Amino acid sequence: MDGIYISSSPHFSLSNTTQKIMLCVIISLLPECAAGIYFFGVKSLFLILSSVISCVFFEAVFQKLTGQKIIVSNLSAVVTGLLLALVCPPTLPLWTVIIGGAVAVIVAKGIFGGLGSNVFNPALTGRAFLVISFPSLMGASWLLPNFTRGTDAVSSATFDGITSATILSKIKHGTFELTDGIFQKLFTGERAGCIGETSVLLILVSLVFLLVLRIIDFRAPLAMCLSVFILTFASSITGGMNFTAASQSAVVSLMTGGLLFGAVFMVTDYATAPVTKAGRLLFGAGCGIITFLIRTFGGYPEGVMFSILIMNAVSPFLNNLTARKYGYGKKGSRRAPSPEEEKRFTSAVQEKTED
Amino acid sequence: MKKFTFKGGIHPKENKELSSGSEIQSVKPASGTYTVPVTMGGAPNTPLVKEGDSVARGQKISDGDKFMNCPVHSPVSGKIKKITKCTVTGNLTVPCIVIQEDGEGRTDFMPPLDPLKCSKEEALERIRSAGIVGMGGASFPAHVKLNPPQDKKIDYVLVNAAECEPYLTCDERLMKETPEKLIDGLAAVLSVSKAYGIIALEDNKEYLKPVLEDKIQKAGFSKYMEVRLVKTKYPQGSEKFIVSSCLGTEIPSAKLPADAGCIICNAGTLCAISEAFREGKPLIERVLTISGGAVEKPCNLKVPVGTLISDLRGNAFNLKEGKAPVKIISGGPMMGFAMADDSFPVAKGTSGVTFLTKEETSLKEESACIGCGKCINACPMSLNPVLMKREIQADSLEKSRKFGLMDCIECGSCAFVCPASIPLVQYFRIGKSLLREKMAAEKGGK
Repeated sequence: MDGIYISSSPHFSLSNTTQKIMLCVIISLLPECAAGIYFFGVKSLFLILSSVISCVFFEAVFQKLTGQKIIVSNLSAVVTGLLLALVCPPTLPLWTVIIGGAVAVIVAKGIFGGLGSNVFNPALTGRAFLVISFPSLMGASWLLPNFTRGTDAVSSATFDGITSATILSKIKHGTFELTDGIFQKLFTGERAGCIGETSVLLILVSLVFLLVLRIIDFRAPLAMCLSVFILTFASSITGGMNFTAASQSAVVSLMTGGLLFGAVFMVTDYATAPVTKAGRLLFGAGCGIITFLIRTFGGYPEGVMFSILIMNAVSPFLNNLTARKYGYGKKGSRRAPSPEEEKRFTSAVQEKTED
Repeated sequence: MKKFTFKGGIHPKENKELSSGSEIQSVKPASGTYTVPVTMGGAPNTPLVKEGDSVARGQKISDGDKFMNCPVHSPVSGKIKKITKCTVTGNLTVPCIVIQEDGEGRTDFMPPLDPLKCSKEEALERIRSAGIVGMGGASFPAHVKLNPPQDKKIDYVLVNAAECEPYLTCDERLMKETPEKLIDGLAAVLSVSKAYGIIALEDNKEYLKPVLEDKIQKAGFSKYMEVRLVKTKYPQGSEKFIVSSCLGTEIPSAKLPADAGCIICNAGTLCAISEAFREGKPLIERVLTISGGAVEKPCNLKVPVGTLISDLRGNAFNLKEGKAPVKIISGGPMMGFAMADDSFPVAKGTSGVTFLTKEETSLKEESACIGCGKCINACPMSLNPVLMKREIQADSLEKSRKFGLMDCIECGSCAFVCPASIPLVQYFRIGKSLLREKMAAEKGGK
């Protein structure tokens, strides 16, 4: 017989591949892309395309130059490109996002060993580079969604359209007030912010999609959101707010900024988060706590990006939090027969010895 | 109703319908030649015959004097052609006794013995002299298993009737066609071990529950044994999960089922034990499944031990035209051994041979681990395959052990779900042997 392969078991596997997983993540990001284009105009589309193309291009070039196999077909660079664009402000010049893409796939990913070996989330590293290098482009002015232009009193005209402060920077500067319909606006995404992060509704849709397909684990996102919620609530209460106001501010803290987007798409990044269940819980909680601290005490209005990058560095250590293995601890001991089984069991012995 | 199940595990495509409808057929190799390994389970045996000797069917042809030895018998009346090394399951080359059938039909069975009336010593001696070993694949000598150290009280005998490997249906057919033998064998084991019997059946074979219960009742054993349906999930048929599903306890790490108060027997083994008592017949035949996408008519065959699979091909089964197998597996696709060809003998532990086509099996190239953690969810032992593999690659075996290396049962659940097609089990096999070597060297040094 010819063409017979010999290999170690198992000889059976799911038809699951890295490429399929990445494709699912890409599909889950499409609603956010569409919303970004709808809210902030066609400029967002160009930003998204530039980001994706630059990530794929730089990854291929890096792999070629370093003599590796070119594996952009696994689509992970596309995911990085999408994520990077979606966490950039819609006013960003195209050349900036292209630089961000290069930093993401070369510095954060390629140099660390490529797919799966990177320590820091590539998209967030790219964004962090842009925030630090071009602070004026990355968040000094924010575009309001198209159809709310002119209706928002705080908005002021600039050369680039109508801009506004984000809710978080308003909170930071103490100018935020709860207005009617604010929750509804946050929910649908009618607010200033990064291209993909504004619509709570669509992010929840993506979350459900990813959870149902078992692409992501609920632990880290849940821990992150819960810890931000609880901490904001507690600090509001201790700050003298009544229960209703404190709960409202806690809900606003969940729905604003990049928290949900980060929790669903960044904290769940495979390579840069822990793999164990307990590790993921703690990782998420850590991200939430640091986000809260930066929002409350830090120099930036939003802390999601830095909190995740900081926790990325800790995540290999968090992998030491493992589950109880089979056969260890209390369960790994004998069980006495139940009274019923014991009764039948002794009678069996007696009858057999009587035989 | 309480679901009897365990944590983790996977749901591979079962493909049992390919052969589950086919009745067990008794077949013999056309060539009349049998290649019987000198040792099939237990300590290495020495042949008791030499070239040119005539042997009767059922005559002992190899044994040893250690407690762990388990004798082997001639499956046929014939003449010893030669004693030589042959390739067997696992691609190992081991001494085998080649016997040519002479057509004289001499048999040499033991006298029948009533397992419920004889002493424990007599019963154990019968099980040993019949050469009974675990027929699920591990081939552990049954007389050793049934005779645990005095301080380990046995409360339960669990019958492994899960048959969780995809494709394999030999135990299912045995239970369907001869349920009374299974019950009889279980009664024999219960009378030796003075324990309570639980037959653990995967719920994909629920239709067998009333069949078995009926036989239990007819035999008057209702008080001593019961049938429990366990959830259909791989690797339910591993003894560790038979215990945790049925009893809710676990076998302590690196210990035996006896440490959890259990003895676990495969369904086929119990049928063989019944035959050893009632007919005096040693373990010289077994039922196995021939299946896979490359097989024309997948089937369940009862063949003499020592039959070469290649002698059955074209005779008892055929391969499909134009659908060449790319893997020939002794056993099922999850834990079976890939063989270079099919000219290897059926041993006491061979539960099936699967001929997999390119579409069925996985030949994907290994790619980079993306850290998805799916292997951790799939691991029924609650180990951390991804971390174990990373530590092996980093040459830190101790750390790998901390993540569970030495507790790995090599069930393959992790590799099954891995999107990067990483041969995790292979890493663990290598890691384990490296760690064992290291530990042996350290021990020797002290």
